Amino acid sequence: MILGNTVGLAWRSLVRNKLRSFFMMLGVIIGVAALTTLASVGEATQQETLRQFKRMVGTFDTLTVRPGASATRGMPSLSVVEPTLKFEDGAAVAAVPGVRRVARVQQVFDLDVIYRDRSTTPGLFGASTEWADIRGETVTAGEHLTEEDERSLARVVVIGEDVRTSLFPDEDPLGKIVRIADVPFEVKGVLASNGVGPGGSSLDNMVVIPVTTASKRLFNREYLTNLIVQVEDPEQSDTVAERVRAVLRERHRLAESAPDDFNIGSPRASVAQVTAVGTTLGRVMNGVAWIATLIGGVMIMALMLVGVSERRREIGVRRAVGATRGDIRLQFVVETAVIAGVGGLLGILLGIGGATVAALLQKLPPAYLWSSIGMAAVLSVVIGLLFGLLPAWRAAQVDPIEALRS
Amino acid sequence: MIETRQLSRIYRRGDGTPVTALRDITLSIADNEFVVVRGSSGSGKSSLLNILGCLDTPSAGQYLLAGEDVSGYSEEQRSKVRSRRIGFVFQSFNLLPRTTAVENVEMPALYSDSPVDRQRAMSLLERVGLGARAHHFVSELSGGEQQRVAIARALMNGPPLLLADEPTGNLDSTVGNSIMQLLTELNAEGQTIVLVTHDEHTASFARREIVIRDGMVASDGPQDQSRRDA
Ligand SMILES: Nc1ncnc2c1ncn2[C@@H]1O[C@H](COP(=O)(O)OP(=O)(O)OP(=O)(O)O)[C@@H](O)[C@H]1O
Ligand SMILES: [Mg+2]
Repeated sequence: MILGNTVGLAWRSLVRNKLRSFFMMLGVIIGVAALTTLASVGEATQQETLRQFKRMVGTFDTLTVRPGASATRGMPSLSVVEPTLKFEDGAAVAAVPGVRRVARVQQVFDLDVIYRDRSTTPGLFGASTEWADIRGETVTAGEHLTEEDERSLARVVVIGEDVRTSLFPDEDPLGKIVRIADVPFEVKGVLASNGVGPGGSSLDNMVVIPVTTASKRLFNREYLTNLIVQVEDPEQSDTVAERVRAVLRERHRLAESAPDDFNIGSPRASVAQVTAVGTTLGRVMNGVAWIATLIGGVMIMALMLVGVSERRREIGVRRAVGATRGDIRLQFVVETAVIAGVGGLLGILLGIGGATVAALLQKLPPAYLWSSIGMAAVLSVVIGLLFGLLPAWRAAQVDPIEALRS
Repeated sequence: MIETRQLSRIYRRGDGTPVTALRDITLSIADNEFVVVRGSSGSGKSSLLNILGCLDTPSAGQYLLAGEDVSGYSEEQRSKVRSRRIGFVFQSFNLLPRTTAVENVEMPALYSDSPVDRQRAMSLLERVGLGARAHHFVSELSGGEQQRVAIARALMNGPPLLLADEPTGNLDSTVGNSIMQLLTELNAEGQTIVLVTHDEHTASFARREIVIRDGMVASDGPQDQSRRDA
């Protein structure tokens, strides 16, 4: 018997027994819908986390070099870091093959910025000009810091949107003088808002001054809190990180056996960490959805078994006109697979609908994890084939003589 | 067409006691014959027909169908033989429910080596006088019409042998007569037919009658022409 005929036969049987078929599919529909929705909601959440991360670090094709042997959590501050990472290290790293550019950064988080009787305590970044380029920062008013500002140790500052709102609620901030640790700075530009980061905190509560000004006029420190290293090819970032490490070890004259006195991190690694957290619940729900799908398969099997005893006469007739046991077996397996497959398809449609609604409720752009959706489709057919085996075997065992005795 | 030698069939009851349904049946049926097998209930008619139709195998003896000894054939082999050589007509029609007449007629072709030929199914329905009902569902057809569909189905694969077990048993006498009329016509066109009945009137349509009693051939011979015309 030709497989195409069997599929046609199965399809007709399904269409002619719509209600029965629907009940048979129900478990698979629900299971697959749940799998699809969960996977897609997870994907949407993950993509949102990535977006938040990206807003924080600006770009993913970077490495961060920090002083100190072990990676510290959170943002390092100039007042606590070890004084091992020097300005010249930045220049040396910039010369490493595969490195596009390097931003040198001195940052603190506890200095007040004062304008007249107003005051705020933003993150303060002394940063070289590459900083804005690497992060893709733009200004909504005024200008970015320039190399000339850096050379001349200019007392100029570019402020984040939050600082503008705190200090200049109804004033044009450009050209105004703010005081940072009693040093006057002229406001040169206002950064475009970056929204919120992974923790939900604002990314706009910050000010940027030339790193040279920070070093010479504000902190009197010759070392950095971090380097932001942009690589030419993100795929190569591990190799580049190794090269950077070698250069820094050499510059710091570390003995063969000595540990690094700096650490190199990548946003990719951090993202992997962040997205791995908080998925335990997701895994449990995913497990439940799998079980639901399996139960769906068992339901199909049970109803198919009932179907076999109801259709003994049909089986008898088919056998009488020449169907072999194999033909009957094939017919029932294919029928179960078609039912499960159609159920899977309906489940996927329902799941995509569910994922869209969930995304709208979370106010996130919907995302669909097509690999999981494809898996669910394959899964449902496999379940059909698997749970079709027993009914098919039973059907093939039917004795035509007995089945046809009126 | 058919040749049996000392065919016997012994069933085993649930408790293990043997029941001899057929013993020492030796028959020969030529091409183009129309043979009726008549006997009272429990005499073994269906048992014989099941063996002739390769649904069942004899407990002893030999069965040659079109020169081929099929006595020892496996399930699989007998399925193939049924597909190629046998058409079945049953007392209770046994059409597939929720299916149209023409789909029922086509069904045996699914299990044959040739592709499903809708044209042939349609012309067979024409032949049994149901061309207009081809796309009606089985549930919309009368008993007589259903049996005609069943006959068309039996002929779908062009089997040399048509077997019918009480084909008029579920029909009233006028409708039954028309079915017998149809079978007589098919026989006149060359179809070999073996028909089982317990009814003398039905039996009168055939040219040759084999009477079975207690699983044995009690008589075998041409029908009395006068009784046929009566
Ligand atoms: N599967 C079986 N197991 C045991 N005994 C059986 C089986 N099938 C038939 N028999 C017995 O074999 C004998 C012949 O049965 P068969 O069905 O061939 O009779 P029949 O002539 O067709 O009768 P009817 O006119 O009632 O259909 C009966 O005694 C019946 O009880
Ligand atoms: Mg019988």
